[in-house]
Amino acid sequence: MKMIRAFIRPEKEQEVVLALEGSGFPSLTKMPVFGRGKQKGLQVGPVHYDELPKMLIMMVVEDKDVAKVIGIISDKARTGFIGDGKIFTSPVDGVYTVRTGEAVL
Amino acid sequence: MKEITAIIRRDKLPETKKVLDELGYPSASIQSVDGRGKQKGAVCDNDLDPELPDNYCMSVKLKPTPSTYAVEHALPKVALFVPKRMLTMVVPDDVVSKIVKSIIKVNQTGKTGDGKIFISPVESALRVRTGEKDGEAIA
Repeated sequence: MKMIRAFIRPEKEQEVVLALEGSGFPSLTKMPVFGRGKQKGLQVGPVHYDELPKMLIMMVVEDKDVAKVIGIISDKARTGFIGDGKIFTSPVDGVYTVRTGEAVL
Repeated sequence: MKEITAIIRRDKLPETKKVLDELGYPSASIQSVDGRGKQKGAVCDNDLDPELPDNYCMSVKLKPTPSTYAVEHALPKVALFVPKRMLTMVVPDDVVSKIVKSIIKVNQTGKTGDGKIFISPVESALRVRTGEKDGEAIA
């Protein structure tokens, strides 16, 4: 299993979530975060924004679904301008469902 | 070392912290997150009162959040989320199963929305104050 952490624009959140739901991946956790990237924030005239609001979407999926999920997220979250976000994938050794206590996703 | 990420009910957090304290692993980061599972976020708090009719929460008891507003007013489809607490802790390999078992024991109500626990590998750790590495850093 893999954990996918996607940093996306907050205004794209609903679109991404509904697209994932439509493809059979309804489960995720989201949290608002602040961050900056290569461009060191955003310069609008004389005003410099060092950290910009993003939505972090975290989900754990089976190995075979990783490419599909990343495809959906990157397709829906893309605007083509800087600040579209990043997607990170990391390994997950074990998953437990608290309700049943079983080690299944 | 392993990282344990537990997504649990908000009201179970104090008990969970107490149990982890008793086990001797009180260190954890706690975050307020919103999440949804297989039920797509359609769970509600009147699980606690079984005498209420099944459709009660959808019709009356929805909390006034943007998504419930959208449901009540039949706006175009929105994604529903349930507020949760996320607990992240890094622990040695040999105690992972013990901690997971006790988290499950405390948080299990048998109803949907109990949460998930994820275990991921962690390569290294560093305590900033002293510069201790790996094992000593999380001890």
